[in-house]
Amino acid sequence: MEFINVIIKYIPFFLPAAWMTLQITILGIIIGVLLGLVGAFLRISNKWWINAIAHIYIFVIRGTPLLLQLFIFFYVLRQTLSLDSLTAAFLALGIHNGAYITEIFRGSIQSIDHGQMEAARSLGMSYPRAMIRIILPQAFKRSIPPLGNQFIIALKDSSLASAITINEVLLQAQRLAAANYKMLEMLTIAAIFYLFYTSIFTWLVNHLEEWLNVDNK
Amino acid sequence: MLKIENLHKSFGDLQVLEGIELKVKKSEVVVIIGASGSGKSTLLRCINFLEYSDQGKIYIEGQLLNEKNEREINQMRARVGMVFQHFNLFPHKTVIENVMEGLTQVRKISKFEAKKIACHYIEKVDLTDKERVYPAKLSGGQKQRVAIARALAMEPVVMLFDEPTSALDPELVGEVLAVMKELAREGMTMVVVTHEMGFAREVADRVIFMDNGQILEAGTPEDIFDRPQNERSRAFLSAII
Repeated sequence: MEFINVIIKYIPFFLPAAWMTLQITILGIIIGVLLGLVGAFLRISNKWWINAIAHIYIFVIRGTPLLLQLFIFFYVLRQTLSLDSLTAAFLALGIHNGAYITEIFRGSIQSIDHGQMEAARSLGMSYPRAMIRIILPQAFKRSIPPLGNQFIIALKDSSLASAITINEVLLQAQRLAAANYKMLEMLTIAAIFYLFYTSIFTWLVNHLEEWLNVDNK
Repeated sequence: MLKIENLHKSFGDLQVLEGIELKVKKSEVVVIIGASGSGKSTLLRCINFLEYSDQGKIYIEGQLLNEKNEREINQMRARVGMVFQHFNLFPHKTVIENVMEGLTQVRKISKFEAKKIACHYIEKVDLTDKERVYPAKLSGGQKQRVAIARALAMEPVVMLFDEPTSALDPELVGEVLAVMKELAREGMTMVVVTHEMGFAREVADRVIFMDNGQILEAGTPEDIFDRPQNERSRAFLSAII
């Protein structure tokens, strides 16, 4: 009983940190989606040097730990670009997510049957118009499940920002536990917040899929 | 109307078309037959540049097409209707939206006008009751009729059919062929790649037999089906009829 009372008592102390977690996650996702869109188009280009840019981006970001990327932003780029820690955090998270989302978008664009592009072109549409009107709406729908997965990963990855002084849920748990010695309770509260967020994300993604699934009903 | 001169095409080492010469007059129905791999689909796809030929000239309504000129190719494609073996309807759009797409996006016709034109062609293929339905709900034959309406709505000068009934269940072939016969009767210029010999015999003004990337024989349906001159076409026809 004591355990639950402690948790209820301390939950309010987590609210600012929970808001921080949500902020860096959402900003990281938005930047990631934008970079992913650009990246996917670079990736499917038939010009090798445009392709190479996307390959190098994915190679570097996927091949190094997120913690290292956060450190680079916090210890190096923060000074040179005079960013605050929050900006450094969501830029690093966004660029990190972008590499994975690039591959998600590329995969779903390429999964659309080639006949769709041919049919659009045979009506006289230009390549960009066919992309926007015919391919992307279908590809976007197909990218929702893996994208939802990536969003949940992004949420949990945001905890790494605790290592660069961002006072999000996990860092808050550590700080409170350092003062009240109730490590298990504080970590449990942190876990509750993450589970709460992932449940909402999962629900949203599932419904988005349903709403967009009109054409197969 | 349509003139092809010395068309060559290869995929890597494989020579698919070897010097095709073909002229199609206005309102003529040309049916191309031949074994799979003979190059008949590739020939059709070269006409509206879904495949780029290696050599040769293509004229549509007297205009020599330059494959380097993207805009010119797009304009030409808007005037050449194409019907695919696998329909290629846009699954995220309803039947009427499928038919309107080229009108609003390519011919820049207002939505209101496009809707009227689309309704007209959907009625023509006898699918008025399916206007608001998504393609997933249609049978293969209905899908192909929508695809024909989509191409017709652009008011093309020539229609290309690439094995339009090959992916259909046998009992659905008839409804698609009926639409095509009707078109032919109205004087549409058509180039049809098909295995439907009955259709070829009944509707074609000219039948072309292709083998190994060449036109081996061309003539009226009677010439080709009743008196094939070439040994390969005799072998092919006796195998399928």
